[in-house]
Amino acid sequence: MSGLERHQTDLLILGSGGAGLLAALHAHDKDPSLEITIAVKGLLGKSGCTRMVQGGYNVALAPGDSLQRHFMDTIEGGKWLNHQELAWRLVEGAVERIVELENRWGCFFDRNPDGRLHFKAFAGQTVDRTVHKGDLTGIEIINRLAEQVWARGIKRMEEHRAIALIPSRDGQRLSGVLMLDIRTGEFRFVAAKAVLLATGGGPTMYLYHTPSGDKSCDGLAMALRAGLKLRDMEMVQFHPTGLIAGKDTRITGTIIEEGLRGAGGHILDGSGERFMHKYDPRNERATRDIVSRGMYDQMKAGRTGPNGGVFITMKHLDPAMVRKQFKGMVTRCADVGFDLVSGNVEVVPTAHYMMGGVEYALDCRTSLPGLFAAGEDTGGVHGANRLGGNGVANSTVYGGIAGEAMAAFAKSDGGIVAPDEAAIEAAVADTMRPFSRKSGDLNALRERLYKLMWDDVGIIRSEESLKRGEKALDDLAAELAETGLPQTTRAFNLTWADWLSLDSLILTSRAIAAAALRRDDSRGAHYRSDFPETGSLEKSENTVVTLEGNRIAVTTTPVAFTRVRPGQTLA
Amino acid sequence: MTNASLGTLKVEIWRGAEEGDFETFEVPSQPSQTVLDLVTYVQRKLDPSLAYRFACRVGVCGSCAMTVNGTPRWTCRTHVQKVASSGRVRIEPLRNLPILKDLATDMAPFFDKGQEALGRFVPSDARASEVATIPPDDPKRKEANAAIECIGCGVCYSACDVVSWQPDYLGPAALNRAWTLVNDVRDGDRQGHLKAVAEDAGCHACHGHQNCVEHCPVGLNPTRSIAGLKRLVVMAALKGEL
Repeated sequence: MSGLERHQTDLLILGSGGAGLLAALHAHDKDPSLEITIAVKGLLGKSGCTRMVQGGYNVALAPGDSLQRHFMDTIEGGKWLNHQELAWRLVEGAVERIVELENRWGCFFDRNPDGRLHFKAFAGQTVDRTVHKGDLTGIEIINRLAEQVWARGIKRMEEHRAIALIPSRDGQRLSGVLMLDIRTGEFRFVAAKAVLLATGGGPTMYLYHTPSGDKSCDGLAMALRAGLKLRDMEMVQFHPTGLIAGKDTRITGTIIEEGLRGAGGHILDGSGERFMHKYDPRNERATRDIVSRGMYDQMKAGRTGPNGGVFITMKHLDPAMVRKQFKGMVTRCADVGFDLVSGNVEVVPTAHYMMGGVEYALDCRTSLPGLFAAGEDTGGVHGANRLGGNGVANSTVYGGIAGEAMAAFAKSDGGIVAPDEAAIEAAVADTMRPFSRKSGDLNALRERLYKLMWDDVGIIRSEESLKRGEKALDDLAAELAETGLPQTTRAFNLTWADWLSLDSLILTSRAIAAAALRRDDSRGAHYRSDFPETGSLEKSENTVVTLEGNRIAVTTTPVAFTRVRPGQTLA
Repeated sequence: MTNASLGTLKVEIWRGAEEGDFETFEVPSQPSQTVLDLVTYVQRKLDPSLAYRFACRVGVCGSCAMTVNGTPRWTCRTHVQKVASSGRVRIEPLRNLPILKDLATDMAPFFDKGQEALGRFVPSDARASEVATIPPDDPKRKEANAAIECIGCGVCYSACDVVSWQPDYLGPAALNRAWTLVNDVRDGDRQGHLKAVAEDAGCHACHGHQNCVEHCPVGLNPTRSIAGLKRLVVMAALKGEL
C-alpha cells in the first residue's frame, strides 16, 4: 500500500502491563543489541490492568508453603480445566520473579515486623501466600518496571493502537502489525522478527465491569482474525462488589474491595434487608461466584436500590476500624460522593477477568510463527476460575519467559519478512469504513452490547439466553458495520476509538457466547441454569473457539491431566 | 436515573493546542458525577472530536489529570460538586507540559526528568537469591515508604511555579522518587542519585512553596522529600563525595 508509513524493529511488544514490560526487560537482558519497541494504546505503564492490582502476588515462599500446594490450589480453584504444565510453570516462575522484582527492578513489598516478606490471606488458598504492597500492589510493580524500561533505550510507540496482525506474503508466519497512531490518525505498519501479544483481556463488554476503561479486547479480536485458537472463553470472572453510581459515570463497575465482606460487611437488598443467608450458610463471606449470583438474583427480582443495584454497608461495625483498615476504599467512595463508613453504598456484581484466551506453549509461542502471547490475552493457566493473586503472577512470569523466547527466536528463526499487502489494505479499509458511512449513535450500540451481555451471557446463562445473545450480537455486528462517524479530524479521535473498541468487543463477545453455549455444565465462573451441576471432572474438556470466515466455530478437547488427576493431589 | 431537577452545568473546555480557545457546553448534572464524566459526556454526546486522556478511571493510572477551575486535579476522582463554581466548570490541559490536542498533554518531558534524576533503582545485588530482610520500622524504610505511592499523574509538576520559571527544573515528582531511592538500603548507587539531583536544576532549585504538597491527589509531601535531598547533597558535598 503506498502512502503508508513503514517501520521495522527486531521485537514488537503490544501492551505495557506486567507482561509487556517484563518481556522488554528480559529480551533486552538476553540480547542488548536487539531493537525492542513497545506499542501501547495509552502511555507507557499507564494503560492496562496490572497497574490496577490491589490484592497482590501469589508466591509459594511462606513457611509451610510449597510449589505443590500453590499448584493444587490453582488447579482446584480452576475446577480442573487448567493446562497443568502452564499452571506448574506459573507457580515455579512466581518464586524467581518475585525475588527478581525486588532485587533487580526495585519493587518493595510489605514486610513483617522481623523484616521478612509479609504474606496475606486470600480466598481459595490453603496457605497465606499473597505478597503485596498495601492495597496498591500493581502501582509499585508497574512504576518500577516502567522506569527501568524508560532507562534502557527501548523504543516507545505510545498512543498507538494495534489494528491487525499481518501475515507474511506466503501466509506461513507473522510479518508485523498494522498500527494506528492515535495522535495523528495515520496508519503505520511495523514489521518485526517477533511480536508479543500482551494487550490484556478485560471483559469490558458487560454493563458493569472492573478493568481499566480503555480495555477493549483488541488482542483477542486480532488473534481470532489471525486464525488463532482461543480456549475456555466462556470463563468470565465476576467480582461481587462494584460501585454503581448512576447514568453516564465512568466510576460505575469499579471494585469495592473483597476484604469488606471478610471484615463483616453486610449486603442488603433495596429495602435494607440482608439476603445472603438464603443462598449460603457463610452469608456474605461465601465465595465470589455465589455472592455474585445471590446479588444478581435479588436484582432480577427487582429488590434494588435507586440505580438498580443492592447495598453494602459497614455501618454496624466500628467506624475507626473501617476507616483504618479500608482507608483507600473509604477515600475513593468519599471522592465520588459515597459514605462507606456510616452509609449504604450501592453495589453490583461486576465483570472482572477473562480466564480464557489464546492457546500458547510453555515458551509463549503461539501456532502462528513469529507471534508470542502472555498475560490475560492467553488461556490455560487459570482454568475455570482465577485465584486472587494469580493474575499478576501470570502476566509477570510469562511476560519474562516470552521476552527471552522472542530474543532467541529473533536470532535463530526470525527475520523481517515481507507482509501480505492485501491483508494490510483490507485492514486499513475496515478501519476507515466508518468514515464512509452515515454517522450513527455509537452510544446506543454500546449500551445494547452492555445490556445483552449482562442479561444473556452473564452471571447466569441458559441455552435460551445464550441463543438470544448470539442473535443479538450478530445483529449488533451488522449494525456497527453500517454505523459511521462524523467527518471530523482523525487526529486523537476518541470517537473513532470507541467504534474500534466496540468492533473488538462484539467479536470477543461472540466467542464468549459460543463457548458458553457449548459448555453444558456449571463450574467455576460459568453457571448454566439449565445445567446447574458440575459434570464429571475426569471427563473435563476445554472449549476451543476459532473464527471461520465470519462464523464462530467451537470444538472441545479433553483436558490433559499431565501432573495430577481429579481425586489425587500433589500437596 | 435522570435528575432534571439538578439542572445543567456550563462546562468550558480548552480546544486546540498551544493556540486555542474555550468552548462552552451544557451538560446535565447528575448526583454522582466526576470531572472526567463531564468530559466524557461532551465527547460522547455533544462533540465527538474532543480529545482527552484517561485509562483506569479510579485514580490509579495517573492519565487523566487536567486543570479544573484553575487547579490541577485527577479528574476521575474529582466530584463535580467539589469544584463547580456557580454551575460553571472550566477545564484546561495541565500546565507546564506541551499540549497535544484539547485536554491531552505530552507527558514525555515529565518522565524524561524522572530519568535525569536517576529515578530508577540501581541494584546492589541483582542476583541475590532471597528478598532482603528489612524491618518496616527501619527509619530509612519509613522515609521511603512515606514517599513511594506516587501515581505519576503530573499534578505536582503542573502546580509547581519553579517548573514554570525554570523549565529545566526536575520537578517535585522526579525529586521525590530520588528521595525514596537514597533511602532504599538495597540501592547500589546512592552517590549517583545524589549527583543527579545536585545540579542547578535539581533539589536546590525548590523554593519550598509547597504547591506540590497542596495538590498531590494521593497526599504525598514532595517538598519534604526535596528538603531531605538538600540536606544529603550538602553533606555529601562537604565530604567531597559529589
